[in-house]
Amino acid sequence: MLKSLLREPLVHFLLLGAALFVLDVRLRPAAAPAGTGEIVVSEARIRNLAQNFRRTWQRPPTREELEGLVEAHIREEVLYREAVALGLDRDDTIIRRRLQQKMEFISEEAVALAQPTDEELDAYLKANADKFRMEPNATFSQVYLDPRGRAATLETEVKRLLDTLNRAGPAPDLAKVGDRLLLLEPRYQDISQGELTRLFGTEFAEALVKQPVGKWMGPIPSGYGVHLVRVETLTPGGAPTLDQVRPLVEREWANARRQEFSKAFYDRLRAKYAIMVRMPEPAKP
Amino acid sequence: MKVSHMNTYKQGSMVLGALATALVVALGASPQTPAQQPPAAAEGADVGAKGLVDDDYGAETPATPGAAVTRAKGYSPYAGRKYPTRVFFGDTHHHTSNSGDGFAAGDRLDPEQAYRFARGEEVVSSTGVPAKLARPLDFLVISDHAEGLGLMTQVYEGNPAFASDPTLARWSQGMKAGGKEAATTQNEITKAQAMGTLPDPIKDPKIVGPIMKSVWQQYTATAEKYNEPGRFTAMIGYEWTSVPKGNNLHRNVLFRDGKDKADQVFPFSSWQSEDPEKLWAWMEGYEKKTGGKLLAIAHNANLSNGRMFELVDFGGKPLSKGYAERRARWETLQEIIQTKGNSETHPLLSPTDEFAGDLGIAGWEYGNLTLTDKPLSPEMMPTNYLRGGLLRGLEQEQKLGVNPFKFGLIGSTDVHNSLTAIDEDNFFGKLPIQEPSPDRWEHVSKEGFGKKRYTWHYMAAGYAAVWATENTREALWDAMKRKETYGTSGTRMTVRFFGGWDYVADDARTRYIADVGYGKGVPMGSDLTPAPAADREPTFLVAALKDPVGANLDRIQLVKGWVDASGKAQEKIYDITWSDNRKPDKDGKLPPVGDTVDVERATWTNTIGAPELVAVWKDPEFKPSERAFYYARVIEIPTPRWTAYDQVRFGVKMSPEVPMKHQERAWTSPIWYSPKS
Repeated sequence: MLKSLLREPLVHFLLLGAALFVLDVRLRPAAAPAGTGEIVVSEARIRNLAQNFRRTWQRPPTREELEGLVEAHIREEVLYREAVALGLDRDDTIIRRRLQQKMEFISEEAVALAQPTDEELDAYLKANADKFRMEPNATFSQVYLDPRGRAATLETEVKRLLDTLNRAGPAPDLAKVGDRLLLLEPRYQDISQGELTRLFGTEFAEALVKQPVGKWMGPIPSGYGVHLVRVETLTPGGAPTLDQVRPLVEREWANARRQEFSKAFYDRLRAKYAIMVRMPEPAKP
Repeated sequence: MKVSHMNTYKQGSMVLGALATALVVALGASPQTPAQQPPAAAEGADVGAKGLVDDDYGAETPATPGAAVTRAKGYSPYAGRKYPTRVFFGDTHHHTSNSGDGFAAGDRLDPEQAYRFARGEEVVSSTGVPAKLARPLDFLVISDHAEGLGLMTQVYEGNPAFASDPTLARWSQGMKAGGKEAATTQNEITKAQAMGTLPDPIKDPKIVGPIMKSVWQQYTATAEKYNEPGRFTAMIGYEWTSVPKGNNLHRNVLFRDGKDKADQVFPFSSWQSEDPEKLWAWMEGYEKKTGGKLLAIAHNANLSNGRMFELVDFGGKPLSKGYAERRARWETLQEIIQTKGNSETHPLLSPTDEFAGDLGIAGWEYGNLTLTDKPLSPEMMPTNYLRGGLLRGLEQEQKLGVNPFKFGLIGSTDVHNSLTAIDEDNFFGKLPIQEPSPDRWEHVSKEGFGKKRYTWHYMAAGYAAVWATENTREALWDAMKRKETYGTSGTRMTVRFFGGWDYVADDARTRYIADVGYGKGVPMGSDLTPAPAADREPTFLVAALKDPVGANLDRIQLVKGWVDASGKAQEKIYDITWSDNRKPDKDGKLPPVGDTVDVERATWTNTIGAPELVAVWKDPEFKPSERAFYYARVIEIPTPRWTAYDQVRFGVKMSPEVPMKHQERAWTSPIWYSPKS
C-alpha cells in the first residue's frame, strides 16, 4: 500500500509542494504587503547568495562583496514586492510564461521520480498490444518478372512459370529463372515484415505474409514489377512477453505517463476555476 | 506498357488485376490517377532477360550443386557471409532544440522527440503541424552545435546571468516573438558566431560550463534510451561549428561509443579554437583518455569560399606531411548534399559534366554560409567543392606522399527543427520557419552581395547510406570509418560499387553481385589493390537498384579524376550503363531519358528508366603511372521537386525561376588508385 502510494505522481507532487514550501519559508522573508512588512534576510539566504557567487567566480565572496550581494537582494525584494503590489507581474508575458514553465517543470519532475513495477509495465503492454506486436517473419524464395514491354504475354508466361516451378522440387536454382533483379536476393531467411517493406514496399510485404506455405504463388506486385514467391516458413506476429520488450515498454510507459500526468496536473488546477470565455462575434465580411 | 492494362483490370482477370495494380505501383501513380500514356511502349529492359526462363533451365530437375559460384558453400549461399549484406539509411547531421540557432529559430522539439520521429512515431512539429515519416530511419546522429549547447533555452528563459546583457536580452525577446523575428534572431546568432561577436556572458566558461555539461549528459542519456541494437541506432555526436568570417568549416564528430565514454569529455567547440588541427588534437586526446573512437564528417564545402580544401593550414602555412596524415586520419567523410545544397562540383569547374549544375547549385554559389566576407569567385572554386577536393588531394599526395583529402561521400540533412523529413512530398524544411505553409517558398533566408537566398533554394536532401554488417553503433561507425558509404539526394536507392582487376562482363549478370564484388576486388571507399601485371587496367562493378517506392533509374556514371604526366588534374565523366536502349550520338553523348513529370499535379510515372542497372566497366584511358580516383554517380529519371508538391497542396503559384522537377541521384565514396612508388 505504502509502496504504491509512493509511486503515485500526485503524492510526489504533494511532497514536492511541501518541500518547496519548506524551502520557501527558509529562504524567503515572510511575505507581507508592500510597504508594510519587514524584510528579514536569513542566514540560509545569505549562505545561498554566497554559494551562487562561488559557482560563478570559483571563489567565496569577500566581506564587501557579500554585503553588496545582500544589498542587491534587498533591493530586488523591495522592488519585487512593490511591483507585485502594483500588479506589474500580471501583464508581463515573460513573467507569466516563466511561471507557467516553472509549474510545468514541477509536474514533469514528479513523473521522473516514478519507477514502474512489473505489473504496471505488463498492464501497459497488454493495454497497448498493437504498439508492441512482434512482426510476422518469413523465409521465402522469389522470382522477379519485369512487366515492361510484355503486357500481352505476361499472364501466360506467369502461369507457365508457376507450373514449372511447382513441379521443380523444393530447391530449384533460381539463378536462372525470371528476369534479373540482381540486388535483391532470390531467397530471404527469417525476414520481418518491416524489413520486407523496406526492400519491396508495403504492398508486397503485406501480401507475402498472407501466402500459403510450400507452394509457388503470385504474381505479387512490388515497386520493381511482379514476383512469384514460395514461402518456406511463416511465423505469425504476436504479442511479446514483457521480458522480450522490456526497455521499449519502459520508455513508452514513461512517455505516456508524463503526458498523462501533465494533463491530469493541469486539469486538476484548471478545475479550481470557473472559466468564462466571451468570444467576440466574428467580423461581418 | 500501355494504358490498356487498366482496361483489362476492369474486365476482372485476376492475374492481370494484380499486374495492373503492380503497374500502377511501378508507375508511381496512385490508383486514382490514370497512368500517363508514354509515346511508345518502353521495350527491352537493359538488364531484363529476353525470355522469362533461360533455355537451359532444367525444369524438372533441381539445380546441380556447384552450378553457380556460391553453390559450393552449401545449400544456403548466405550462410557465413562476412561482408555487409544490406545498406542502412539515416541522418548524421541533425539539430534539436539543444542547438542555439535551431532553438532561436523556434525549434522546440528536444532529442527525445527527434528520436521518436526518426523511428517512425508521429510528433507535432514546432509550428504545430503533425509530422510522420513514410518510412522510418535506420539510424540518427543528433549533432547539436557544441557552441552554447543548450544555452539558448537559458537565454530565452532570461537566466539572470544572460538577461543583463542587452544583446542577449534582445535575442530573448526575438525568440519569444517567433515567426520572422525568430528567424532574424537566428540569422543574427549565426552571424555573431561567424564573426566572433557573441556576447561575453555566453562565452564565459564559468557561467556556461555547468549548464552545457548537464545538457550534454542529458543528451547522451536520451541516446542510450533510444539506441536499440539491431533495430535503430542512436549514435552519439555533435557539431564543431568553425565558421571564420562566415566561411563554413563545420565538422560533425561521431562517437563509436556509448554514454560511459562520451560523458568523460565535453565537446570541443569552435569557441576554443576554429582551427581544425586543434579539433583533431582533441579527438586524439579523447581516444587516449577513454579508449573510445571518433571520426569527423565535414559539410557544406560549397559555402566555405574555397577554404574547405585550401592548400594551406589554418595559420596560412603550406600543407605538411603531418597535416596530411592527421587530416586523412580524422576527416573520414564529407557530406556531398544536404538541405543547403550540393557540394559535388560547379559548372565552371566541370564544363563537360552535364549533371554539374542542375541540382542544388542555384543560390548556394552566391557566397559563403552567411553571404558575408566576399562573394564566391572562380578562383575560390577549385577548393570549394568535393570533386575539386579529391583532385587537390591527388596533387598533394604527389607532393607530400600522403593524400590529405582522402574522404568518402555521404549525404545528410542538417535540419534545425528536429525532423529528418526530407522526402519531396513530406518536406518539413531546414528550419521551423520553413515548415509547410503556403508562402514558405518565398521567405528570404539570407541576403548579401545584392543576392537573396530563398527557402525555395533549399533542398529536400539527403540521406547517409551505410553498408554495415548490422544496425549497431559499432558496425555503422566501422563502415563509415572504412568509407563504405554513399550519399543520396533523398532517394533510398541501393548502390554497390567495387573496383578490382578481374571483373568481367558476366559479373554484371550474376545473382550474387556482392559475392563477386568482394571476392574479386574492394568496395567503395577503398584503395585498389596493386595491379597484378603492368599491362592491366582496373575494372569496376557497379549495380544500382531503384528505391522500392521511388523513381526508376536513368543511368550510372563513373566519375574519374586523375593527375596527368604533366602534373595537371583532370576529370572525365563516363556513362557506363543506361535505361531504355538509348544510343549515344556521334559525339558519344547519351540522349536524355525523357520526362514524365506532370508539374500541375506533381506526379510522374515509371514508364521510362529501369528498376535496376548493373555494369562492369574497364577504364579505357588508364595509365599505370597516374594516380586516380573513381566514384559512381547514379541518376534517377525526372521527378517533381518539393516546390511542385507545395504548389499543388497549397494552391499557390511560384515564380518562374523556382525549379519544379529534378533528377535525384546517389554518389558513392571513391575508389583510389596509386602507382607503385
